[in-house]
Amino acid sequence: MSINSLFSPESVFVSEKTSSEAIFKEVSNKLFDEKCVKEAFFSEILKREKLYPTGIDTSPISENLPNIAVPHTEGEFVNTRLIVPVALKTPVCFKNMIAPDQDLQVKFLFMILNNDPEGQANILAQIMDFLRLTPVSKLQKLFNFTSTDKIYQFMSENFKK
Amino acid sequence: MSREVKFIAACGAGVNSSHQIKDAVEAEMRKRGYNVKVDAYMIKDVNEDLLSKYDGYLTIAKTDLSFTPKIPLIDAGPILYRIPAMAKPVYDNVEKVVKEIN
Repeated sequence: MSINSLFSPESVFVSEKTSSEAIFKEVSNKLFDEKCVKEAFFSEILKREKLYPTGIDTSPISENLPNIAVPHTEGEFVNTRLIVPVALKTPVCFKNMIAPDQDLQVKFLFMILNNDPEGQANILAQIMDFLRLTPVSKLQKLFNFTSTDKIYQFMSENFKK
Repeated sequence: MSREVKFIAACGAGVNSSHQIKDAVEAEMRKRGYNVKVDAYMIKDVNEDLLSKYDGYLTIAKTDLSFTPKIPLIDAGPILYRIPAMAKPVYDNVEKVVKEIN
């Protein structure tokens, strides 16, 4: 399985929405149309983000990076194994995954669709390695792209195992 | 080899964070010469009865449990960054629990 198949050109977003719920609605609708997720995906991802937030404070990696989030659901609500990049035109508040009482302003989402958590390289670990090993100047470019084509191209070229 | 020490790791979906912590802790403890097994769970499935089968609980965030666990709680969230300096104190805490059991 090629690593690039973790991304699909149709499943990349640039969102102008200003709340996590509105972003999830926009992305879930399209992913459902593409048959990537089940109908309950939207309500599940919304619920899960409230109970177990997924914001990641990137400051341990670099002070010069905006924060990200990795929203996801249990495997049963998705049909595939995919990372869905979502660039946010306006930073949106997410709670910190490892300190849920803390608010983070998030600029970019890597939504994780994973119907097969066992037996394959861990997607979250791959995302963290991508953030840690890609030069900060390049990541800053990625996080500010306003074209889904450019984001897809960047991820295909730079996201390595 | 000493007896297998069993930990539980739990996250919201039981898919990503808990599996990453499982893989990292098992690999590092193997490197340090210990026999450690980690099971990944969804937080909603964690209860007193389940925890009684384990020697320690690797948490991702401060989670409010409706009971006070009798086994040691280890804050394993920093492992997720995959930065060795952040992970080391977590591994050291795991090793401390393992050493007390063996």
